[in-house]
Amino acid sequence: MRSKEPRLVISFHTTAEAMATERLCRQNGLEGKLISVPRSITSDCGLAWSAPAALRETLEALLNQHAVEAAGYHELLL
Amino acid sequence: MKEKGWLKSYGPIILTGIVVGIAALVLTAAGNPKNMGFCIACFERDIAGALGLHSAGKVQYMRPEIIGIVLGSTVAALAAKEFRARAGSSPAIRFVLGLFVMIGALVFLGCPLRMVIRLGGGDLTAVVGLLGFLVGILVGVVFLKKGFSLGRAYPVRKSEGFMLPGVMVVLLVLLVAAPQLLKSSEEGPGSMRAFWVISLVAGLIVGLLAQRSRLCMAGGLRDAFMLRDFTLLSGFLAIWITITIGNLILGKYNLGMLSQPIAHTQHLWSFLGMALAGWGSILLGGCPLRQLILAGEGNGDSAVTVLGMVVGAAIAHNFGMAGNPDSVVDGVYKVGGTSTVGMAAVILGFVVLAVISVTHLPGKENA
Repeated sequence: MRSKEPRLVISFHTTAEAMATERLCRQNGLEGKLISVPRSITSDCGLAWSAPAALRETLEALLNQHAVEAAGYHELLL
Repeated sequence: MKEKGWLKSYGPIILTGIVVGIAALVLTAAGNPKNMGFCIACFERDIAGALGLHSAGKVQYMRPEIIGIVLGSTVAALAAKEFRARAGSSPAIRFVLGLFVMIGALVFLGCPLRMVIRLGGGDLTAVVGLLGFLVGILVGVVFLKKGFSLGRAYPVRKSEGFMLPGVMVVLLVLLVAAPQLLKSSEEGPGSMRAFWVISLVAGLIVGLLAQRSRLCMAGGLRDAFMLRDFTLLSGFLAIWITITIGNLILGKYNLGMLSQPIAHTQHLWSFLGMALAGWGSILLGGCPLRQLILAGEGNGDSAVTVLGMVVGAAIAHNFGMAGNPDSVVDGVYKVGGTSTVGMAAVILGFVVLAVISVTHLPGKENA
């Protein structure tokens, strides 16, 4: 059984921004995956990006560089 | 620890599904039409009739279930400090999408929730609708993967977010204090209803639980296809299983295609109607039930979508687009279904959704 580990979860205002994040991360070889945005973050039912917590600064810079707007950066045990 | 994790993830949504299923069974037992304890499409259509937006005499009634769902969501959101007034995400387009989702649903004779309820009653014509819904969802997912977006919403004044809940309160006051001002069917599905308090309480409970759990058929299928995440879908499985068991216990389970309550066997148009509803729901970010929940949470764009659905219902009945159930006339089984106008409306809907989908891909910002 996989134990929970700290993960960075990036939430977005639109699904398109989540999809764009996936594309950018794949292009740059950054680990992560799309998930359903956790209920603890929001009552919205969109997509979020889950990545290792250590990638936070890298991902913030990458998304800013490509004008992808995140709704929030959250560190959760997933 | 694995069981606790599973329970925390799936518990709320499955509980919601069970409660929705029980509420649907109770409402039918208390007087709602058969296999229609809840139907967001049919009930918004009935509300349109109650307000005189259409003149189909058999489907006019101010359904307290819809009022309860919105207000239940509002109460839940306020209690959890999750009420957020926001708007500005292509409201006019969402109005039109809501309009066509409703037309598609009424051609099939049910929203995605009623589709599951019909399945729970043994109505195999709903299987065709489910297949169509799945195809529509898949088409919508293709466009999501290509970057489809109606744009983000922005925080707005709280009064904007409270508008639709406020309208629901006014409608409730009219129903209770001045019912003579509203149209109310004396025969047909509109005349079949539970006592208003039962309907309102059932709606409140469903609205509250659906807000907490994010219950959504379209979202559930989207997550299953895109993410292999079956959490939201498990809620609808719970509804289906609960209603199936309930109907078996009550002796109301009738497995078959023919003579199902408020259903027709014009399978092609059941398929296409629900494909339209599924595709539109993905573009909107939620099924008709979810739009009510979001509107209750303060989402002004979803409020506009709900209004679009009500107008779509009025148009569907004013122009004879809605499906008619199968019937037996002089001992002969007569297949119901939609009219030529209804067929044309569904095809027009596909064209409109295709245009909206294509013109809202990345690089089309000036479309």
